[in-house]
Amino acid sequence: MNGNATTASPSLFERGMLMLREKGDLELYANVFVIGWAVIFTLWQGVGFAVTLGTVFCIWAILSVSLNLVVGYTGLLSVGHIGFFGIGAYGMAILTSDTSYELLRTESIPQFGLPFFAALPICVLAAGVAAVVVGVVFNRFRDDIYVLVSFGFAIIAFNVFLSWRALTRGAYGIPDVQRPQIGSWVADGEIEFLALCVVFLLIVVGISWFLVSSSFGRVLKAIREDEQVAQVFGYQTTYYKLAIWVISAMMAGLAGGLLGSFTTFVDPNSFILLESMLLVSIVILGGLASIRGSLLGALAFVLLEEGMRFITYLPSEFIGQVRQVVLGVMLVLLMLFRPQGLAGRYKL
Amino acid sequence: MTDARSYISNRGNVLAIVLVTLVVAYIGWKITESPDQALQFAFNGMSVGAVYALVALGFTIVYSTVWFFDMYYGAAAALGAYGVFYLRSSETLGGLYEVNNPVVNGVFSLIVVGVAFWALHTALYYRLRTRFSDRALRIGFGVSALIAGAYVDVVLTRPEELHVTLIPAVLAVTATVVFLAGRYAYANLISSREPMVFNVILVVIGVALGAFSAFLIADSPGSKLYLSWAVSCFLAGTVSLALYRGLYVFMRERARSPLVMLVATLGILLAFSALIVIVFEPTPRPLPEPFGGSAHEIAGANIKTLNLFTIGVAVAGFLGLLWLLKKTTFGRTVRAIGDDEEVAKVVGINTTVIIATVFFIGAVFAALGGLLSGHDTAIQPRMGLLLLLKGWIASVVGGIGNLQGAILGGFLLGMLEQFGIWDLAGEWRDVVSFVVLILFLSFWPAGILPRK
Repeated sequence: MNGNATTASPSLFERGMLMLREKGDLELYANVFVIGWAVIFTLWQGVGFAVTLGTVFCIWAILSVSLNLVVGYTGLLSVGHIGFFGIGAYGMAILTSDTSYELLRTESIPQFGLPFFAALPICVLAAGVAAVVVGVVFNRFRDDIYVLVSFGFAIIAFNVFLSWRALTRGAYGIPDVQRPQIGSWVADGEIEFLALCVVFLLIVVGISWFLVSSSFGRVLKAIREDEQVAQVFGYQTTYYKLAIWVISAMMAGLAGGLLGSFTTFVDPNSFILLESMLLVSIVILGGLASIRGSLLGALAFVLLEEGMRFITYLPSEFIGQVRQVVLGVMLVLLMLFRPQGLAGRYKL
Repeated sequence: MTDARSYISNRGNVLAIVLVTLVVAYIGWKITESPDQALQFAFNGMSVGAVYALVALGFTIVYSTVWFFDMYYGAAAALGAYGVFYLRSSETLGGLYEVNNPVVNGVFSLIVVGVAFWALHTALYYRLRTRFSDRALRIGFGVSALIAGAYVDVVLTRPEELHVTLIPAVLAVTATVVFLAGRYAYANLISSREPMVFNVILVVIGVALGAFSAFLIADSPGSKLYLSWAVSCFLAGTVSLALYRGLYVFMRERARSPLVMLVATLGILLAFSALIVIVFEPTPRPLPEPFGGSAHEIAGANIKTLNLFTIGVAVAGFLGLLWLLKKTTFGRTVRAIGDDEEVAKVVGINTTVIIATVFFIGAVFAALGGLLSGHDTAIQPRMGLLLLLKGWIASVVGGIGNLQGAILGGFLLGMLEQFGIWDLAGEWRDVVSFVVLILFLSFWPAGILPRK
């Protein structure tokens, strides 16, 4: 398997580095480890818990797959994706908002009372429209500056959620978001909601897989490798970048709509810049330009939080922070030894 | 100039001029409408802008040397502010909340041990290796580094006696500064070769002045706050230096693009901000009022002494950095590395040492910005990221990689932010600054004062 090991007999460290950098083995180990962890976790904690976890996983997976289309396949390092996620969630919350909470409201917001399945396409479209506006402005930037302006988008979106009180109730958040229902059937149970999320995840993965394996995806990869060369070959790279940006934002809007309906409560703190940075680290951790990697990263991310809940000597309010430290350190190690991420196809 | 022009189509030019006219007209209208309030907003803008300028200055000197973006920088700003809180927590919350933590003290001491060992080794190894054996040198450096670490641990574990524990440091720093300044003055004013007697006199004067200032400090317990500034800036700088020497050096050898460095330092920022939350809890905290919380009234508008001080520090920092970069040998090597690192290596510059020093200086500026803004408002764990972004925006607005641009951009951003939120509520200021950024990037991508 490893010809070098017998002839030149490198040290254990060197062999480790070789495996990290060159071999696909690590990807396999990571897959087995994370999925095995998930199975053990389900057996240990029971199915009910795993269902909740699965829903959270589906939402994060949709997000990270969509972000991977932009970061991994097109090479635009966007840290502002949480904005579209938030637009989706707030869209769902505002469109389906119910009058039963009227008495509790300190600030009333417009009432639409749409059903879930009518609101969801509108959320997706709203995220898409926002993405067109943002994308037209962002298209001219590259590298470091792109990162900076995408930070800017996340901050602007957060401030809009927080400060446009007539629409979002600001820091109070919007409670009582509707669960999906068709006629008299309400997806109130967790299992139904999980099934719905899985269906949407499959749709998103299918669309992404179709996109990246089509000629459209090949142009995206060409833009990532060298935008000028792609232009020389006659591709209007601006339109390609805008298209993938809008598609990705619409997927994030979908994930946001699902989140809003899942938690039935939306407030600005779910859409802070930090979450966006965590999302980017999931995508890089899982692997750039790899849809499977994004799923893996999202699964690892969700399991990391829930897994740490069972370390008894860790105070529960620190779990999120410890997870953040772990992600940060892993990001540094990956950039040192494996800049494409665990299952990645593209080195940053 | 033509290069910068070619970015902009003719229509873009017209748009830019219309935009500037509109902004100027808006500000002018506001000023004529209520001059008193306008002056107050201008003062606020200057105070905020001074902090942005400080952060942007440090950012610029680092970025224009290594040309990658160090996100740890935001953590350095937060560390600067939280360091002051750590040392003065009893004063801020009336003794209700003590954060002195042996683990934190130990970690910082270990970092200082590592950095001290490295500094001694790089400074003295080649001078002493003919006279001593390698092992003797290593043991000597190790013992000195351990003493330095133990000293830092002592300082950190006794924040109440800061004015006593810091006496040796004050003495040493004053003596060194006097000595170096005297030699620099002599070399520039009189002759390039100073006589030995002069050095001896300088040492005597330096030690005397150092002892005097140490005596002054030991006599006034009120100086603890200002001493804690120095300690927390030093620690933020040391961590930055350790990160560069311990991590970035290896990472830069492997990195294919600046984005790799950016993502890696993003990981460091994530880890640091989480650690800050773990140690200090996420609640916003106040810092004690420096200068007795006094304020001045100038032409009907109020400005705090602290804000005047911040503006002074920003201007002094700018002049100091300018002098350092333009007039000293160190500055020339820094500029050489910024122009072409490989060539700088070839001509015999020890790039690692120079860049490590630059990282130290940059982080000290970030920490200063962080702690001064913390005194002005309050500190919270995510302040680091926001300050980092504001500093980044300021340096892009002013012209990236250019000190004059950094200070100009910082003050301009502060002013625009304050005038921008005049008719909006205060919570929109981040939005205003990013709108300013996007407008600048669209119309003047090279900034106000482009780097030549």
